[in-house]
Amino acid sequence: MRAAVECSGLTKAFGSTVAIDNLSFKLPANKITGLIGRNGAGKTTLLKLIAGYLAPTGGSVKVFSENPFNNVRVSANLIFVDDKMTMPQSLNLGEILEAVGGFYENWDHRLARGLLEYFNLNPRQHHHNLSKGMKSTFNMIVGIAARCPLTIFDEPTVGMDAAVRKDFYRALLKDFLQHPRTVFFSSHLLNEISEILDDILLLDQGRCRLYMTKDAVKEFAVGLQGKEEAVAAIAGGSEIFYRKKLGPENLYLVVPNRFSEEELLAARRKGVEVSAVPAEDLCVYLTAKHKGGIDDVFDRN
Amino acid sequence: MLNGDSLTPIYVQVAEWLETEILNGNLRSNERVYSQYQLADMFNINPATAAKGLNILADQGLVYKKRGLGMFVSPRAGERIRRKRINRNLKRLAQELAMEAERLGVSREELLDLIAEAWTQARKEELE
Repeated sequence: MRAAVECSGLTKAFGSTVAIDNLSFKLPANKITGLIGRNGAGKTTLLKLIAGYLAPTGGSVKVFSENPFNNVRVSANLIFVDDKMTMPQSLNLGEILEAVGGFYENWDHRLARGLLEYFNLNPRQHHHNLSKGMKSTFNMIVGIAARCPLTIFDEPTVGMDAAVRKDFYRALLKDFLQHPRTVFFSSHLLNEISEILDDILLLDQGRCRLYMTKDAVKEFAVGLQGKEEAVAAIAGGSEIFYRKKLGPENLYLVVPNRFSEEELLAARRKGVEVSAVPAEDLCVYLTAKHKGGIDDVFDRN
Repeated sequence: MLNGDSLTPIYVQVAEWLETEILNGNLRSNERVYSQYQLADMFNINPATAAKGLNILADQGLVYKKRGLGMFVSPRAGERIRRKRINRNLKRLAQELAMEAERLGVSREELLDLIAEAWTQARKEELE
């Protein structure tokens, strides 16, 4: 499949801090990919490298086979949406839409005005007077209506309430169905966005921890809960992503999902509860530095 | 309609929903099935996930493909789905019932009574 973005050995250091560390991956065209990671994992740096806002200190990044840094052909085909988008102060929202529309070939003005109205944004308002959530909503509208072949959202839902976030995901999906494009989307709310995603890329300290389809992530691990001995026996020597003691005798383990139907049934017979591990939780466990989580800090004393 | 927290993957849930539509007679033999894009819009899911659900049905021969036209319900698909569900779902549910009954110390007779009661209830609701 044609790659929209191709990184090879991509590295970006700020002084002695390595934000992106020898990262190689290909982002397939016309898919929605979620970029997940803890605070400081390097998500924004990676997106800015792709958008051409930053130059790499090592390796390369290609967007539609071209170097994005200082490249007008790439900028015409790409939109980067985040909460720091600067809009001209002298123009109102309606005028901004007119102006922005002129930049992008596939811009849909009717859609932009329709969304503006739906989300109760007054076209005569000014961007700098909007609340945090309304700013995000406006930026998101620009991001969707631009219909850029590569659409990058960096934490687009900051400040949005739950209802607006839901509408936004649906608007993005509906427009994507009509006009497929490559969407790269960073978020901390994986559970909310996971249904509309094709793939998930999990970033951990500037490196790729996991890159697979969303369905594969959901089936990657299982949770086992029950009496300590029974749970340990079923887990055997397998890798443990997360462990939590529940009371004196009970244990909850998250382990790789390598069990057959029969094994899972046998586990249930022994009183071990088998549960799915939400993708969001799994990503937290995989990037945790402490296997027991925050409890470790308290248990030390 | 779909449950994101379930152990059952979304694409399997999509396949099961389509099976139920066929079983209920909402989709008849040789009728066109929803496209992956219609399903994606209906359930607010990624079209690739929807396609995966459709493919499960296609792999089992419950739907067939007409090039350029989409997927259609195979003849006698409803009956085959019914057989399959008895063999798989009903048996699994029965196993879980038996296991839970054992944990709770419920006897065979008590359990059978409960099932008989549920059966009567379901019939009554259907007649109403």
